[in-house]
Amino acid sequence: MNTYYAANLLIFAGVDVIACLALNLQFGVSGIVNFSFIIFQAAGAYAAAILSMPPDTSPDYSFQIYFGGYQLPFPMPWIGGAVAGAVLSIPVGLVVLRRLRTDYQAIALLVTSIIANTVINNARPWLNGAAGLALVPQPLQDQVDTGSDSYQYLYIGLTAVCVAIVWFVAARIVNSPFGRSLRAMRDHEVAATAIGKNPVAMKMTIFIVGGAIAGLSGAILVGFLQVWAPSTWLYPETIILFAAVIVGGRGNNVGAMLGALLVPVGFEEVTRLLTRMNIGPPNLIPALEWVLIGLFILGFLWFRPEGVRPEPRRVYEGAADA
Amino acid sequence: VNLYVAAFGFGLVSTSVIAIAAVGFTMQFGITNMINLAYGEVMIASAYVAYYIDRAGASIWLAMIGGAIFGAIFSFLINRFIYAPFQRRGTGPLGMVIVSLAVSLMISNLMLPIVGYFSVSYRERFSNLMRFGPIALTVNQIAIIFLAVAVMLAIHGLLRYTRLGKAMRATAANPTLARNCGIPTQRVVDMVWLITGALCGLAGVVAALDSDSFTISSGAGFLITALAAAVLGGAGQPYGAMLGAVVIGMVTELSAAAWAPDYKEVVAFAILVLVMVLRPQGLLAKRGALAAAG
Repeated sequence: MNTYYAANLLIFAGVDVIACLALNLQFGVSGIVNFSFIIFQAAGAYAAAILSMPPDTSPDYSFQIYFGGYQLPFPMPWIGGAVAGAVLSIPVGLVVLRRLRTDYQAIALLVTSIIANTVINNARPWLNGAAGLALVPQPLQDQVDTGSDSYQYLYIGLTAVCVAIVWFVAARIVNSPFGRSLRAMRDHEVAATAIGKNPVAMKMTIFIVGGAIAGLSGAILVGFLQVWAPSTWLYPETIILFAAVIVGGRGNNVGAMLGALLVPVGFEEVTRLLTRMNIGPPNLIPALEWVLIGLFILGFLWFRPEGVRPEPRRVYEGAADA
Repeated sequence: VNLYVAAFGFGLVSTSVIAIAAVGFTMQFGITNMINLAYGEVMIASAYVAYYIDRAGASIWLAMIGGAIFGAIFSFLINRFIYAPFQRRGTGPLGMVIVSLAVSLMISNLMLPIVGYFSVSYRERFSNLMRFGPIALTVNQIAIIFLAVAVMLAIHGLLRYTRLGKAMRATAANPTLARNCGIPTQRVVDMVWLITGALCGLAGVVAALDSDSFTISSGAGFLITALAAAVLGGAGQPYGAMLGAVVIGMVTELSAAAWAPDYKEVVAFAILVLVMVLRPQGLLAKRGALAAAG
């Protein structure tokens, strides 16, 4: 197993863990069915890309069209990615979160995700349309040789630091009084409103926090992949993340992390393994893998719908025994 | 002006294709509470069934019937053996969306080794052009328009004037109450899957015929327009879906004439966003899904 392979695996794992933690805050803890989650990751990736790339007039980049191109040094693109995710959450949240019923919210968000993808796909002047952005600079590439093993370790380390920060933030939110209010809203919105909580404000807050974390995950991903195109953020990606959170155990950060490792990362590995076995006609094996993924999701929802690590039942001192 | 009149003609065709798909999709949601993301895959599977019938030498209209029957049976089986057991087990609406996505992944990937990646088309994709002033449509396109009108009238008649339609509306409004009133909701739901499945299959063949050639990946696009029309009109409302189809079908073609064809979907979706902001429950939504039709 070479270093690049290990780095690939660990960085994807880190990105998926971060994304699942964010989705768990929105969906698991607060009950917002954010079917457009992937557009916030995409916003972060695009923002990080245009913040780190040179303008599209520079010689090596003239084959693509995009706005911006600010060549900012390393931490800025990642911070910018998080900010972009948060900023995009505001208009989407204002449109969708205010008055819609939950199931209707889910469809509206799904449609939003598709609209965003269609717009970016068709509008070439902003972000190079369907072809997407390529040659996105890697973080610190002017200081460390990106071809070396040590750069791979460095990138793994940077990802790990981000995972730790996001984990800390998510744990703080879940265990804080605000997290308690969020769970109350999820379990019984009318009751939460009756004791003076403002569900719309709480949903907006967690939508923006989740959007920022999703943006960060996109920034990390684009720095590693160096390319980003509309075909990398189609709506089924969101559903895979939902499957991960459900499989892991919604409402539980440990569960979200386990789900991220089991579903997206586990699948990548199964894919690689089966492709290497090289049996049957060329289309057959990748196709069958997706069938297996489908069966796996169905099996989980059937046999263990609460997930691997269900949300712990919280008992507070002084609460009457129920 | 002639350009716009011509675009209006194409708009009618798009509207017809979208309407058949969207009405089926929205009825599934309205009556069985199921956001069936496998709808697009069932559409494309039916289109392929029709393709094989067509290649075997039968006419496209026979193939269309074959596609509709396949769609009906396939949807019925999916519900019987996958969706209904999950719903009985108490899987929530959101879990069901994930289930339907898993089903759609499985359908498309089980089909892939059979049908391959290449795009195919029906033998009858070219037909004679007919002119009505500035509007020029092929015979196929005119047939699609008439077919869609017939289907819409049939759905209207079904919901409005038949016992089954009444039972469907009652089941949509309150399943428990409907059961207590002696409506066999199980059988009603089975009928809904057969009918909407037939619409889905028919829509698949019609969409495939209208778009000249199709591949296995066309299913996603079919789903998206059906979904957009259904949401625009108010999810779960058959009449809303018809209206949504008119808006989306007309706007895409007229804006393609007025502006650039590249942006036609964007314009349709922009209208969708506008409706979501101004009238979040959809154009025709009333209290409760499928509330008193008409």
